[in-house]
Amino acid sequence: MTTLRSLTPRAVGVALAVLLAVVGLGAIAVAANGGPGSSTVTRARLERSLPVVFANVYAEQARLLGHTGVTPASLDAQAMCDKGGAQSADVGPGSTWVCLMSWTDTNVPMPSEGYGKFELNVHSNDCYTAGGPSKLTGYLTLTDTRGREVSNPAFEFDGCFDPGGDDTPTGHTFPSVTSVISTTAAVDARGRVGVQLGCGTGADGCVGTATLTAGSTTLGTVPYEMTEESTTMLHFPTASPAGATEVELTLTPATGYASSSGSTLPVQ
Amino acid sequence: MSTTTPTVAVTTPPAVRPGLGGVVRWETRKLRHQKRAWAVLLGALLGPVPVVMVIGAQSRPPKDSLFGRFATENGFALALLVLGFASQWVLPLLTAIVAGDIFASEDQHGTWKTVLTRSTGRGLLFWAKTLVAGAFAVLVLVVLAASTIAAALLIVGHQPVIGLSGQTVPSASALALVSASWATVLAPTLGFTALAILLSVWSRNPAVGIAAPVVVAMVMQLVGSLGGIEGLRPFLLTTSFESWHGLLTAPRFTGPLVEGVVVCGVWVVVSLTVAYVLLRRRDITGG
Repeated sequence: MTTLRSLTPRAVGVALAVLLAVVGLGAIAVAANGGPGSSTVTRARLERSLPVVFANVYAEQARLLGHTGVTPASLDAQAMCDKGGAQSADVGPGSTWVCLMSWTDTNVPMPSEGYGKFELNVHSNDCYTAGGPSKLTGYLTLTDTRGREVSNPAFEFDGCFDPGGDDTPTGHTFPSVTSVISTTAAVDARGRVGVQLGCGTGADGCVGTATLTAGSTTLGTVPYEMTEESTTMLHFPTASPAGATEVELTLTPATGYASSSGSTLPVQ
Repeated sequence: MSTTTPTVAVTTPPAVRPGLGGVVRWETRKLRHQKRAWAVLLGALLGPVPVVMVIGAQSRPPKDSLFGRFATENGFALALLVLGFASQWVLPLLTAIVAGDIFASEDQHGTWKTVLTRSTGRGLLFWAKTLVAGAFAVLVLVVLAASTIAAALLIVGHQPVIGLSGQTVPSASALALVSASWATVLAPTLGFTALAILLSVWSRNPAVGIAAPVVVAMVMQLVGSLGGIEGLRPFLLTTSFESWHGLLTAPRFTGPLVEGVVVCGVWVVVSLTVAYVLLRRRDITGG
């Protein structure tokens, strides 16, 4: 405790000077370097790193499951990454990174849009944690060929990339998925039907037309246009016939992907 | 601060003056009689054992940290998880306990005049103390690394580990990579040693010399983790604490490692130069 009692004005001064220097340095950095341009976390580096890491852990998962013919090379994984939707720049650390990734494994077929969506938490130290869709990559644990419950290496995984690595665009793109968000068709006082659509992560957003039918009656064909990661409300001009219990919505995309089979919604 | 009087002590040396080796031996002996230094070494030797046991026995692995995911079932992963944790403040603290005190303790005990007039000049004494503090930092790091790796491998096991590119690293090369990873934090640790020496000389107070480097380390960690000001990251001492990540990927990358060694070297040179100038210019007549 002698050290504490001997805290001279000089020592306190030095401690304060150090603190001020550190805080000042931080303030200068914030002021001079506000833009995200200096970040080493970029879309191109993630698009190069994620498929490599994923292919390795997925091949390890296949080995545990006893799936044959799966190697990192045979998967031919490709990714497109995006941070925070259409508006924000695809650069810098954060938990809003989304990567769409396609790969080839005959044991586990891909969904019809051709890719799975991975959510990434990317840190400023060029390392990240990624998690994919359970339909494609499984759950926290899996049962291996010897019947043991082991942790699934592909469920969630960490990766790091070279901050000085290749930063030229990879050119990989995937279309956004247009989907019906409403679970029921909302009918207003004049009998007109409203349906909400959403546009997932992808390139160039979602554009197309939506046709709504109730039995044999067509309630209208309405165009839609959304940026990626946004929603829109469609209103159809013709009132739904009295007594209709469900309507069917068919999407005809010009940009983006939509399931070719229509969606059936109960009328509320 | 007067600069005229101290030159008297420097320019009139005693008849028989020990060389650098002699002063180093003498400083080492002083250190050997410090309970604090032994406590640090003992802590570095025994501390990892309970830490490894507790983390290894967790039912839910600490996934928030790199390699935490496999830490409960893989000794290599656990040794790297502890490395990440040690870099946050443990290593700056362990080195600062000796380096932050080695100059300031002469102030605390009022022994500057005694050591300078009876035995040696300021320059020689400065380098001797710096060498001893640096050697102690190396020793503490080696003990901590060896103890952590040994405890992790013995208690948790040495199965192949999944690296930072998702690749499976076989046990034989994993041991070399984990040891190399621990070795890479030597540069930033010595950076904090030099910083602690500077603060020790400048403040003339052991409390500041020991605590301030730890606070600086924590602030640097915080600044380095913020988004938007990443242009500052390469210049922080704490960034080098993470440069081992490149060794655990496939293919390996060593850019941050080389950059980190250069940055830490600059920190060491600047800190020691300022500390040396401060000590040379100091008025040590009061005792």
